[in-house]
Amino acid sequence: MTFKRLAIAFSVGVFVLYAGLILSLFYFYKGPLFLEALCSPRTLFSIKLSLMTATAATAMSVVFAIPSAYALSRYSFFGSRIIDTMLELPMIVSPVALGALILIFFNTPVGSFFQERGMQVVFTVYGILLAQFITTVGIATRLMKSAMDEIPVRYEEVAKTLGASPAKAFFTVTLPLSRGGIIASAILTWAKAVGEFGATITVAGSMAMRTETLPVAIFMRLASADIEGTAVLVLILLVMGLGLLYGVRLLTGRRSYV
Amino acid sequence: MPRIELRNIHKHVLDGLTLIIEDGEIVALVGPNGAGKSTVLNVIAGLTPYKGEVYFDGKKMDDIPSYRRGVGYLFQDLCLFPHLTVGANIAYSLRVRGDNGAAIAARVKELTKALHIEKLKERYPQSLSGGEKQRVAIARAVACSPKILLLDEPTSSLDSQTAKYLRAELGGFLRRMGITAVFVVHDLLGAEEIADRIAIIHKGRIEQTGPPEIIFFDPGTEVVSEFIGRPNILVCDRCRVLSSGLVEIVSGDVRVVFPYEGNMVERIAISPHDIYVSRTKPPGPTLNRYQAIVTNISRHRSQVRIGLRIGRTIIAAELTDSAFDEMDIAEGSEVYIVIKLRRLRYVESKAKRHLWPESASEN
Repeated sequence: MTFKRLAIAFSVGVFVLYAGLILSLFYFYKGPLFLEALCSPRTLFSIKLSLMTATAATAMSVVFAIPSAYALSRYSFFGSRIIDTMLELPMIVSPVALGALILIFFNTPVGSFFQERGMQVVFTVYGILLAQFITTVGIATRLMKSAMDEIPVRYEEVAKTLGASPAKAFFTVTLPLSRGGIIASAILTWAKAVGEFGATITVAGSMAMRTETLPVAIFMRLASADIEGTAVLVLILLVMGLGLLYGVRLLTGRRSYV
Repeated sequence: MPRIELRNIHKHVLDGLTLIIEDGEIVALVGPNGAGKSTVLNVIAGLTPYKGEVYFDGKKMDDIPSYRRGVGYLFQDLCLFPHLTVGANIAYSLRVRGDNGAAIAARVKELTKALHIEKLKERYPQSLSGGEKQRVAIARAVACSPKILLLDEPTSSLDSQTAKYLRAELGGFLRRMGITAVFVVHDLLGAEEIADRIAIIHKGRIEQTGPPEIIFFDPGTEVVSEFIGRPNILVCDRCRVLSSGLVEIVSGDVRVVFPYEGNMVERIAISPHDIYVSRTKPPGPTLNRYQAIVTNISRHRSQVRIGLRIGRTIIAAELTDSAFDEMDIAEGSEVYIVIKLRRLRYVESKAKRHLWPESASEN
């Protein structure tokens, strides 16, 4: 077997692994049950909640991640290495642990003050937003930093010699040139947010029709031994997530500037 | 256009560099790799922090950021913005400045016409040839009429013919615009064609500055002499016109005939690489050919320098190691030499043209 074939075989193997797991869902597929689960108010609420919170959390992550990524990519400053390492926190610490950290924070005097005088976060939709944001902002920053690292600093220097301030150079040169990477990062961030479970259930709980996102709903179905219902919700999550991801990828395309 | 003054600049290899570029002057910074040439440009442009002082027309620029210095910069790697068309690249500085659409369009049209790139306006940089990219980069750098233009090896990525053509165009363009320009090259040939003055930079210091002929004919230091290749400088004892466009000069026992239309030649310089050495008599006419005796041989890196005596006159030739080893030449050997004219340089005399000897007839 040639090296090329061997490499392709491994990639096909990964696909077969995931495809096999997905196909096993259809063992529990019952047509009428699927439609009933799909159209139930509880399921529709979970889908809507997941989409809204994931999109909002992604937007928040992107807003924070772009300037953070730029600073880490372009500037050398005191503490930059610590910050860079801290971005890995969501990957090192399990989402449940992150959720626990959030809960612990809101049990401190500062967190309690915020909930009393600001807004209630724990066991609310805002808790979902916060959980998804905290689990994704580090990853979003890391991905966008990589995208900006690909853009030579020389382009900004050229822009400066043409009269552009650093901010202008960023908005007119660096940002457009790293657009593809930023969009790809945002897509991955959104996918991570949609699938977020551990921190979400820890901070926001699993109240049906209130804080039950799709991944939480899957867990609750499984916890009550409803395999058929679980399979349906997993299928919905898969179709929604993969379908949207693939669609966005098709729309944005890849423009090479090389 | 401003006068540029750099005083006691320290940055990387630059070690107390001081340099003055006069208003409207085109100065070439020449030196080996790592001498600090590009660093000088970056200091003038304010793209790198430095110690020392930079003045434009007597105004201190050290606290002025690069985007407010009004300095155009043509980078060696050009760096055309790949996400913008040629027209948008050229218009970039004008948009940043806030010019209106009509003014921008007019300026882009003017520059693309001047640089013969009108048809490229809607294309993207990735689809351009090397020469086309260079022109677009020049247009972009001068679009907002900078006071100063810096060019880092502007023709290094081009083939020699295109480079020569572009250098000629660039020189004319800069003079028409009256821009004070500083450009970096790594060899003298590129510098001579455009510059009013050359500054030789070595290990972060200016070794010598002056017009090209002064640098070449009166190198001030051993470093400069070494850099320009230690040419053979022949002082002309006599000079006469042979026919239209051809002149003969005599220096000691060496007679050189070369194309020339001018007044009178005072000195000529022949590169040691342009002295062809052979153990056997080369075929062809006897013009610019001599028999010589090898007086000394010295090796330096991969080159061999041979001292050659022609009568009372001593000149030097340089060969590669391998070429020399094949010849079996030693001190005292008799050899044949041919003087090639491809890079011959001369300094004209201010004296009026005259014939020699006065009783001889003119050919």
